[in-house]
Amino acid sequence: MMSELFSIFEYQFFRNAVAAAVLTSIIASMVGTYMVSRKIVFIGGGITHASFGGIGLAYYMGLNPFAGAAVFAVMTALGIEWLSEKGKVREDSAIAVLWSLGMALGIIFVFITPGYTPNLMTFLFGSILSVGKGDLLLLLIFSVLLCIYFVVFFRPVLYTAFDPEFARTKGIAVSAYRYLMSIIMALAIVLSIRTVGIILVLSVFTIPQITAMIFTRDFSRVVPWAAALGAFGSVAGLMAAYVLDIPASAAVIFFLTVQFLIIKACSLLIRNIKRKRVSG
Amino acid sequence: MSVPLLVMENVSTGYNSRTVLEEVNLKVYPDDFIGVIGPNGGGKTTLVKIILGLQPIFGGRIHFPSGRIKTGYLPQASQVDRSFPITVRDVVASGLKSRNPLFPHLSSSQKKRVDRMLDEVGLKPVEYKPIGELSGGQLQKTFLSRALIEKPQLLILDEPNSHVDKNFEQELYSWLNELSREMAIMLISHDIGTIAPMVKTIACVNHSMHYHPSNQISEEVLKVYNCPVDIIAHGPIPHRVLKRHDDE
Repeated sequence: MMSELFSIFEYQFFRNAVAAAVLTSIIASMVGTYMVSRKIVFIGGGITHASFGGIGLAYYMGLNPFAGAAVFAVMTALGIEWLSEKGKVREDSAIAVLWSLGMALGIIFVFITPGYTPNLMTFLFGSILSVGKGDLLLLLIFSVLLCIYFVVFFRPVLYTAFDPEFARTKGIAVSAYRYLMSIIMALAIVLSIRTVGIILVLSVFTIPQITAMIFTRDFSRVVPWAAALGAFGSVAGLMAAYVLDIPASAAVIFFLTVQFLIIKACSLLIRNIKRKRVSG
Repeated sequence: MSVPLLVMENVSTGYNSRTVLEEVNLKVYPDDFIGVIGPNGGGKTTLVKIILGLQPIFGGRIHFPSGRIKTGYLPQASQVDRSFPITVRDVVASGLKSRNPLFPHLSSSQKKRVDRMLDEVGLKPVEYKPIGELSGGQLQKTFLSRALIEKPQLLILDEPNSHVDKNFEQELYSWLNELSREMAIMLISHDIGTIAPMVKTIACVNHSMHYHPSNQISEEVLKVYNCPVDIIAHGPIPHRVLKRHDDE
């Protein structure tokens, strides 16, 4: 049974899928920890869904749909950060508008595109099993650059996320770091749409991170924990998808959630046992 | 008299087009210990933000006769997100400026300074604890250490006694007494009775600012200053006696 299960690794498409899942987990570990810590996961949702407008427009104009998504995602991320900084419009309202507008534009453009209608399911739910070498190279380059950025600029990224006002008193260019992180968030999300799709991408940026925070509440340790948990859950999900013949990206999210629930339950159990020992 | 650290002349500021503070004149000297009082929404925190360079001014002038000064800032406890995954050590270290903005890491001497600070205030045993697991007193110590680590010339504390128990409050005030010999302090509080015995002068802030060159202040003077705060205190300072709360 086990050898049959692992025989799937003989296929190039599956090895690509595993590599994509691991690289996506690494990217999401850094960006997702930033998003969860700053409590801006909802912004991630806005960026993700707004990018669908870019996909639709790119299709209509005959361009690369992921380039369109990237442009829309970056513009949305910068717009939300600007609105939040200036405080002119309620941030949650702005996100809701951009979220639904993006989806609406995407549907309209795809609908009016003459001739072949692209398969929307690919964008909504991802297509990790069809990831090619070009996609992998892009994910690899982005994750390496992101790792370098986080290692070199870890302190200002952490401080501007935690207490921007105090960081400003220390001469840190808070706005510059926040706008840069917004662009990074947007690009990370668009790259991950290829693997898990618009509907599910947010889970990859939140579930491993909140699972990691059960083990540690130190930002610099949450990141490697989230990467490991994300990669493990994703690969387990891919293998389950093969065995059970179910959609791969949905299986990945399901496994990440189960992993979270099991670890959370265990931590609660251990805490209760410790409490009883102390009181007993 | 020594050279002031900072001088504010006819400063006004606000948010969007709404003016919050008008015609503020203030000089802060190196040995000052100023209690900043006033009603909620009167502009106390805004005054601090002007000094810290966080709030642009509409008019007037703020200048530093002896050059840019080092400030230490302790924000209100309610502004802190305790669920953020950050350790005591990282918070204290965030008080240090990076020497190279292109490679903003701590130098080995800065790391030693963090160690010394944590030792001095007794936070070494909890240095790797996340701030969400600290008591109110430990949390204030952490943020005060962050404010003090660069040895500021002016220390600004915004309601430092909120969310802490009485024991820590006493410890905090004796700490501030010692610090006031080394640096100027501005202490914002809504509780004039508690801070009055400690501060040297009082600034009443309620959309404008009245500087009172003593720590003794009466309700009559507060009325003249248009600064409606209750005086609740014991000892030689004029005070109002409240009815026993448990009788009601």
